[in-house]
Amino acid sequence: MPLPQTDTEQKYTYADYLTWPDDERWEIIDGVAYAMSPSPGTRHQRLSLSLSLQFGNYLKGKQCALFVAPFDVRLSERIGFTDEKITTVVQPDLLVVSDKTKLDDRGCSGTPDLVIEILSPSTAVRDIKLKFDLYQQHSVKEYWLIHPAEQTLLVYKLDKTGMYGAADRYAGNDQVSVSLLGELVIDLAEVFAE
Amino acid sequence: MPLPQANSDQKYTYADYLTWPDDERWEIIDGVAYPWNGIQAMSPAPSVHHQKISMELSRQLSTFLKGKPCQVFAAPFDVRLSDQSTVSDNYVDTVVQPDLVVVCNESKLDDRGCNGAPDLVIEITSPSTGNNDLTIKFDLYQKHCVKEYWIVLPEAKAVMVFRLQKNKKYGTPDRFGCTDIIKVPLLGDLMVELGSVFID
Repeated sequence: MPLPQTDTEQKYTYADYLTWPDDERWEIIDGVAYAMSPSPGTRHQRLSLSLSLQFGNYLKGKQCALFVAPFDVRLSERIGFTDEKITTVVQPDLLVVSDKTKLDDRGCSGTPDLVIEILSPSTAVRDIKLKFDLYQQHSVKEYWLIHPAEQTLLVYKLDKTGMYGAADRYAGNDQVSVSLLGELVIDLAEVFAE
Repeated sequence: MPLPQANSDQKYTYADYLTWPDDERWEIIDGVAYPWNGIQAMSPAPSVHHQKISMELSRQLSTFLKGKPCQVFAAPFDVRLSDQSTVSDNYVDTVVQPDLVVVCNESKLDDRGCNGAPDLVIEITSPSTGNNDLTIKFDLYQKHCVKEYWIVLPEAKAVMVFRLQKNKKYGTPDRFGCTDIIKVPLLGDLMVELGSVFID
């Protein structure tokens, strides 16, 4: 089983991923391994916690489930796939899954309904470019990108053609109505509070 | 002449703006005064990092545009945006100082800056709560049909390029990372190399 290397031609699968050391965090996108290190900073974790509180409190007792990283999403899995055939495994910062049949002991198989990535300098370009394309390709209905430094939120929603349009944009003290999940309103002032 | 106050209901015009102290930098959008780049007016200087990015982008743009009709201007440079093209200073309720602008129509330029929409606007975001680049200014530039709006994210080392579509709205942004090259068909065959923009 190969250990992951960045910037090589080597392609990896979920089967490889399962053998990698527990103390390292990686993602695999189309067979390419990307390191999740270094660990996210204090601000990142504070944002993540605040978002998960607001989403979690609202979703309590409802059909949709919220998950927070580290949580594996096997995006490219299809019915009957062996682990060797799964070439995309990501760990979004937060995700919401409405279809419980996608959940198993190892994480989520298939597409979440909503994914949130909190930008950090080491993963920002991957979040903005690669994961944007990935989530669009796999029809994640809403992709939220939080810019901690700028205290802004971009919400990409799939349009009728299945593409993300121009993002809805929110500033540090806006209220965000999440119609995808019913009547949830996220208070960004609370999210960005230091 | 009222002095500017952030977060107040007071409305201002370009006529007010012209009377304000030279050592403070403000913008007025729809009559509301905002400290420039969200930076408090008492400490108006952007960071070294911000200025390096601005300088390198303006170097690449200026080098390419030399001898061509389009011109690049760097902040501080006043851009007056109003719904009508010829109104008195008392009625101009929007004056912004984008980090960089490219203006291809010479008739929009006068001694005081640019009167009307530039062809390209580049804003480099600053870490602050008052950051309007992705929100208020996005709506403003879209409303005034700025053909391309670039948002530079220094921390992410990324650039988002919004282009006006046929429906006069910005579409899905093209997204670029720190080693990418941005092709700018709007300005001919200009290619901006981000590799030299995001040097630490």
